[in-house]
Amino acid sequence: MNRYFREISVTVALGLVLLVMAACAPSFYQAQPLLSLITREAPTLVVMCGMALIIISRQIDISVGSQFSVCSIGAGLLAARGWPLVAVLPAAMMMGAGLGAFNGWLIAGLRLPSIVVTLATMVMLRQGLNLLQQGAFVNLPDNVQWFGLSQTTGQWTLVGTALSLLLGCGFFMRHVAAGRWVYAVGTDAEAARLAGIRPQWVTFLVFVFVGALTGLAATMNLVQSPQIQPLVGSGLELKVIAAVVVGGVAISGGRGNVWGAFAGLLLLACVSPALTHLHVEAYWEKAIQGMIILLAVVADGLRQRGLKGGHG
Amino acid sequence: MNHHVSRCLLFATLLLAGLPAVFAAEAKLMIAMMPKSKGNAYFISCKHGADRAAKELGFELLFDGPTDSNAAKQNEIVENWITLGVDVITVAAENKQGISTALRKAQKQGIKVITFDADALPDARSFFVNQATPQGIASGLMDEAARLCGAEGEFAIISATLTAGNQREWLKYIDERLAEKYPKMKLVAVRPCDDLKDKAQSEATALMSANPRLKLLMAICSPGVPGAAEAVKQAGKTGQVKVIGLGLPSENRRYVHEGVTDSVMLWKTEDLGYLTIYAAAAVARDELKPGATSFKAGSLGTFEIKGDNILLGQPFIFNRSNIDQFDF
Repeated sequence: MNRYFREISVTVALGLVLLVMAACAPSFYQAQPLLSLITREAPTLVVMCGMALIIISRQIDISVGSQFSVCSIGAGLLAARGWPLVAVLPAAMMMGAGLGAFNGWLIAGLRLPSIVVTLATMVMLRQGLNLLQQGAFVNLPDNVQWFGLSQTTGQWTLVGTALSLLLGCGFFMRHVAAGRWVYAVGTDAEAARLAGIRPQWVTFLVFVFVGALTGLAATMNLVQSPQIQPLVGSGLELKVIAAVVVGGVAISGGRGNVWGAFAGLLLLACVSPALTHLHVEAYWEKAIQGMIILLAVVADGLRQRGLKGGHG
Repeated sequence: MNHHVSRCLLFATLLLAGLPAVFAAEAKLMIAMMPKSKGNAYFISCKHGADRAAKELGFELLFDGPTDSNAAKQNEIVENWITLGVDVITVAAENKQGISTALRKAQKQGIKVITFDADALPDARSFFVNQATPQGIASGLMDEAARLCGAEGEFAIISATLTAGNQREWLKYIDERLAEKYPKMKLVAVRPCDDLKDKAQSEATALMSANPRLKLLMAICSPGVPGAAEAVKQAGKTGQVKVIGLGLPSENRRYVHEGVTDSVMLWKTEDLGYLTIYAAAAVARDELKPGATSFKAGSLGTFEIKGDNILLGQPFIFNRSNIDQFDF
């Protein structure tokens, strides 16, 4: 079977959905609504790049949604105090990197399992935020939305930023030694260590990186509306993990790339607006997304069996 | 040695298990209050009223709930409160059937149960503090929508989740009102936003492009209203697609002033929390019993009781003329 079978099959599935929409509901392709919908997914794409790295390194981070909320509200409060965006953005990224470093220290430093650590930080951060913010929206100054630019320019800036980051991550993971280390650690940490890589440092840095990306994503979301809801980002972790898994990144680490994950994200994000355009009841939305995830996992399972049976 | 350790552990466990009971017996009455989701500004506003009432009455108030709208998590919290031995549990039920088993169990343990905002099954609680009857809310919203659309044309609804009991009930009565009074209006879609403003915005964007003749978006959960308004604004359809819904004045003030959102309906949420705690206290002290037809709640005065529903009264419409008078 082709090495990129999973990536190709997701892209084909996405292509099919887009074709069906072109045939059945051409109104799906109106420029303004489509750009608005894509812009809404841009921050998700940024977090997804981080999640792909985490899962490739054979870890998981389910606290990204909570980190996203904390960074959003933190950045929002700074912006509301009159901080300019050029200062808010690095502050949010530092906040995220700090939260990521805490996760990374517990996981790589103390060697605790990432699912438990990030489950704990997910709940802690979310509850802490609820306690502090009490559910109140943060109202932002007028010049924050779209960086004070026109709406279309702002939207293209965000989409462009997210896509460049995707390109950067794709290049880094394929052609830069440090990117290959992430694969090595995810495939076999002990072998990586024997090859001279320090797996604990790689793991730690990957968590710091995803934290910083989450801070960036939170700022990219902040500039899209004049107010921020503290619940923002809840469920984001599931969305990005699903995208990464659907996109062919093996949950057992060491395999996959951000391109597949990107196709997975688009496929899952298509479901809801596609159903709206096809006038299908909303009950189907989560069922279909669930089915896509299940199909992906089954495909992975079959592929692994095929590898063992065929070449073992 | 091992034996000794395990005995110590057993002792410690017993001690810990016994502690809450000892404290509960000595402390003042404890009222537990559970929102559908505690990060939601709507429920936070309820809590402000509840805090005030608890202070006036000298009760202890426990406020806890899921961080997102999660029915299973609500059951868990009720179970914890049963173990803790609280005196009264007040709940805004995410799922009518789901929560009722846990609430009946609480009643069996002698804990009084009251629901507010969203009801459980009638046998699982003694009273429901009804912020407005579902008919009142549904016809209020539908009439406002019809008024803005000239009683004809397409509209769509954004709800919190598809399973939430009160949302389903409102939808049912909106449908009834629609069939009965506004035959020229058409409900084209109902989309859930999971209580997230951002998702509401995406849903509203897709709804507008999929239904080019859409005249109005109606959000029946509070984060949905600003979400829909932002979508309309970004689509450049201010005035062309009207926005109404149930929501807080503070979250919608900007859009109401910009003319994107026409009107926001809500009861006074602080009063709902306040009334709930007063009712809970009265039930705990056996002052409020089935069959009562009215009830006096501190500084808010007397409320009507219909069957086992304590009625807060008619919903209130906020619009450009009055929204600045309210700061919640």
